[in-house]
Amino acid sequence: MLLRGLTWLVLFQLLGTALSVLLLPMMPGPIIGLVLLFLFCLVRGEVGEPVQLAAGSLLRYLPLLLVPPAVGVMAYSAQIMNDFWAITGALILSLLLSLVATGWLMQALIRRQARRGRRA
Amino acid sequence: MNLAWQVAWQAVVHHPLFGVGITLAVYQLAYLAYERTRWVVLQPVLVSMVLVIGILLLCGIDYAEYRRASDLLTVLLGPATVALAVPLYLNLRRIRELFWPTVLTLVGAGTLATVLGVLLAWLFGAERMILMTLAPKSVTSPIAMLVAEQLGGVAALAAVFVMLTGILGAILGPELLRRFGVQHAAARGMALGLTAHAVGTAQALQESEECGAFAALAMSLMGVMTAVALPLAVSLIL
Repeated sequence: MLLRGLTWLVLFQLLGTALSVLLLPMMPGPIIGLVLLFLFCLVRGEVGEPVQLAAGSLLRYLPLLLVPPAVGVMAYSAQIMNDFWAITGALILSLLLSLVATGWLMQALIRRQARRGRRA
Repeated sequence: MNLAWQVAWQAVVHHPLFGVGITLAVYQLAYLAYERTRWVVLQPVLVSMVLVIGILLLCGIDYAEYRRASDLLTVLLGPATVALAVPLYLNLRRIRELFWPTVLTLVGAGTLATVLGVLLAWLFGAERMILMTLAPKSVTSPIAMLVAEQLGGVAALAAVFVMLTGILGAILGPELLRRFGVQHAAARGMALGLTAHAVGTAQALQESEECGAFAALAMSLMGVMTAVALPLAVSLIL
């Protein structure tokens, strides 16, 4: 079951890679694969149990998979140190502001939609 | 005797599985520490990153070698990204209900996140290469790396900014959103996924399935929007 689901996921990722090379060089293969799998589920009207199992297992370990790219920080310590304050300041401030703005805006829009729905 | 030990040590440290081994071990440790304390600063990716870097420095391994050695894990990031389609599909009904709030937030807040980062770094006096590398910081690293390169930044450094943004967002996000009264699961997921991409999505998946679905949605839409619009916008402005 798990293996069958994994095979599907790998298949969609490879399809995405092929499309990325052929048609859409600015989109990475995995993102195209995501869209393709989503469309596939839409057409079928359900997510197969194997895919659901494999996706759940992989996503549970998503943070683990992100550790190796994060370790890449060590290779660029010199460049980061050069512009340390500008980088940290910009990263932290813009992150905090846009995070709150996003959450707040989305919630405000949801509430507005709910109010409209009630009035209609 | 001493020499034999040294040879054995070198063989272990430079074995292709060493990178995977320490990553697995350190991650479990970091996860356990987080579970036990529930202390937000102990975000598992951050703690694992610090510990792995420490071990690599102690053993005299450079990043290039570690990256080759951890390929076994990294290669799974592709299928894991594809797998995000599943929570997305399972929450389709909720997403459809909230279609307009989602689209408007994506365009408004997505633009804000990108513009704000570049503007602040420019005000703080960062050089142009850094600015172009910072611009795609809120999108998942494969897209960010491609976009940064198109803009004249450094792909690998872009991945670093992406990870730092993601980790910070996952650490500070949930508490910050609570402080500002953002309780709606969809709004929280949207905020985490849009600003902190995969790390934020991983965090959102722990909150609830709906939260995770909106985070995955925000992450992929933000990625697509950045990949298409950012190079265009930069070429128009500069």
